[in-house]
Amino acid sequence: MKIAIFPPNSLILADLVERKGHEPLVLQSEIRKKVTSSEIDSPPLNITEEDPIKGLKYAAIEVPSGVRGRMSIFGPLIEEADAAMIMEDAPFGFGCIGCARTNELCMFNIRKRNIPVLELKYPTSKEETIEMVNKINEFLDSLEEKNG
Amino acid sequence: MVKIAQISCGTDYSGVQKEIERAAETFGAEIVIPEADLDYIDEAYGKFGFNAASSGIRLMIARAMSIVEGKADADAVFIATCFRCAEGALLRNELRRFIQQNTKLPVVTYSFTERTKADELFIRMEALSTIVARKSLLAREKQEGLTLGIDSGSTTTKVVLMEDNKIIGTGWLPTTDVIENAKVGTKDALEGTGYKQSDIEGIGVTGYGRLTIGKYLNADLVQEELSVNSKGAVYLADHQKGEATVLDIGGMDNKVITVNDGIPDNFTMGGICAGASGRFLEITSRRLGVDISELGPLALKGNHKNALLNSYCIVFGIQDLVTSLAAGGSKQDVASAACYSVAEQVYEQQLQEIDVREPLIQVGGTSLIEGLVDAVSKTLGNIEVIVPEYSQYIGAVGSALIVSGLSTK
Amino acid sequence: MLPPKNPEVTEKNPDDQITRMIILGPSANISQTELVRKLHMMELPLTIKSTCYGAVIGGDKDAVEKAVQDIRKVDEYNIFTKDRGFPPGDPRRCRAKRGGAREGFHQLEKEFELLDDVSKALKNPQKVKVKECKKISPDEFRKIAEECK
Repeated sequence: MKIAIFPPNSLILADLVERKGHEPLVLQSEIRKKVTSSEIDSPPLNITEEDPIKGLKYAAIEVPSGVRGRMSIFGPLIEEADAAMIMEDAPFGFGCIGCARTNELCMFNIRKRNIPVLELKYPTSKEETIEMVNKINEFLDSLEEKNG
Repeated sequence: MVKIAQISCGTDYSGVQKEIERAAETFGAEIVIPEADLDYIDEAYGKFGFNAASSGIRLMIARAMSIVEGKADADAVFIATCFRCAEGALLRNELRRFIQQNTKLPVVTYSFTERTKADELFIRMEALSTIVARKSLLAREKQEGLTLGIDSGSTTTKVVLMEDNKIIGTGWLPTTDVIENAKVGTKDALEGTGYKQSDIEGIGVTGYGRLTIGKYLNADLVQEELSVNSKGAVYLADHQKGEATVLDIGGMDNKVITVNDGIPDNFTMGGICAGASGRFLEITSRRLGVDISELGPLALKGNHKNALLNSYCIVFGIQDLVTSLAAGGSKQDVASAACYSVAEQVYEQQLQEIDVREPLIQVGGTSLIEGLVDAVSKTLGNIEVIVPEYSQYIGAVGSALIVSGLSTK
Repeated sequence: MLPPKNPEVTEKNPDDQITRMIILGPSANISQTELVRKLHMMELPLTIKSTCYGAVIGGDKDAVEKAVQDIRKVDEYNIFTKDRGFPPGDPRRCRAKRGGAREGFHQLEKEFELLDDVSKALKNPQKVKVKECKKISPDEFRKIAEECK
């Protein structure tokens, strides 16, 4: 199954999803499509004026261009997902997830899609980390069962 | 090469990063990103004390701190965030202040949209790189010797002759032929002073026609309006230290520049609607049958609330004024309403994107219309507005002042 | 005239070129040098670069995925992997060229701190008790404040 993860560039979430044989829908693959395209040259990310305009699908024109530009990348990933994991309070997310408003909109869009969603908090201790890994594995196993 | 440190959030995702770098390169500068590792981000964020929800903004704080603490090597700083982001706007301004208070680096701020193109950034980058390259010139607070300043604007050409920190001659005429107007203006400025053109020790030019005139007159200084007008304004207003805002409601477009110790750090320029320009007031005075110089005193006697003005548009606005007059409204009230209309529109369309700092130094031809100055002050919540003597010659004075440090003749 | 296209040679689709980061957890059994050597020994058509957290590999999707699968087996619970948008050593995001770390780097740095515990949880799944923190009630707050007087 295709699993959307949030933060979409999280190492731990993506790695654990892959270990269970699912496909993590990660941001990097979207960025790769942009940066390896030979046609446009708008370094560093090859995001051009067109991308924030595409983002109008997710947020109105009154919303800052940076939010819309990010949504033009995250939005399609969320739409593609069969299930999702959200890790809130992740202390550091720069660049792609450096904007709090974009993050709020992403999490909301995931929740309103009516797909199985696992809600997590960024762990603060060893126990919480272990608990998080357990929850993720249980969630991923339950998806397999549902999927038959 | 001038190193411009970029402190920003959202430039990559708005597709404007390339434009920023292109603008910097055009003026012989390069963009560098100040280093900040994870521990340092935590430390800097805690020290600065602004709780930001976006980590991109926290990174901005750390990068600014690394400049202030001398961990990053930079000659100038460019701070930018997305237009309409409240958190970004707050931090853009606080970080600007923080860097200005703790370093001697010039700072320019900007809020961008996906439509921002390199040419909009040109004047900012040009200003940043000239501030770095000509630091000692811009630090000049007194004019020395005999120098000439020419401001070749889109509507009028202004010329000023200065000697030992005093304006001794002026020239002012509508711009029709850039070179011809500069010649006549210079002749007018020299008249009665006993000096000939060959006595002049340095010539500085600014404004739209600066390149043409600069070449023709072999000027010692050819400089964009941003730094020249800032310098001219704080010099004339005798406010060379600290913060200020320079407002120039022009014939065709308006400029708002924020300055710190006479060095510009942000500006906005607009020429979208003639209803927010001096042109609107010119047409109003014609309709009222008074000379433009009488409009100001007239407006001061009136009450803008008595004349109904439903539109900021130069066409419909004037129609409203005519209707008010026909309905028995007084000339004074109509004059006042016209001034408020311009002031409110400047406030709504331009001052919103800039942090207005007191005092506001109003310059340009329209600053001579007292009713407009009063309306600007009231519209901005009774802010202190200074209109210095010779305010209409701002660019010419700035040029004459700055060039006096350069003249070799 | 253009030479006829060789049907055997298919053009490379850039979408099939991927980059992966291989991250060694703090308790990994192998060193970074060993990791890179093992990757080289796979003899797959890959670009391999040693990095501060492990290695970054790039190449055809199939080759990269095969390498990821095989390298995980070397130390299953301590080797983690993550996709990367930029090709290895891309100057657009290179720290050496522009100064300032790539934005994603800080995220990685922070998550790295958790990897040891993640490894432990993966190796020995175990039930744990997590203490839940709740905000104290205003009444309790008042009581404590009075006691502190």
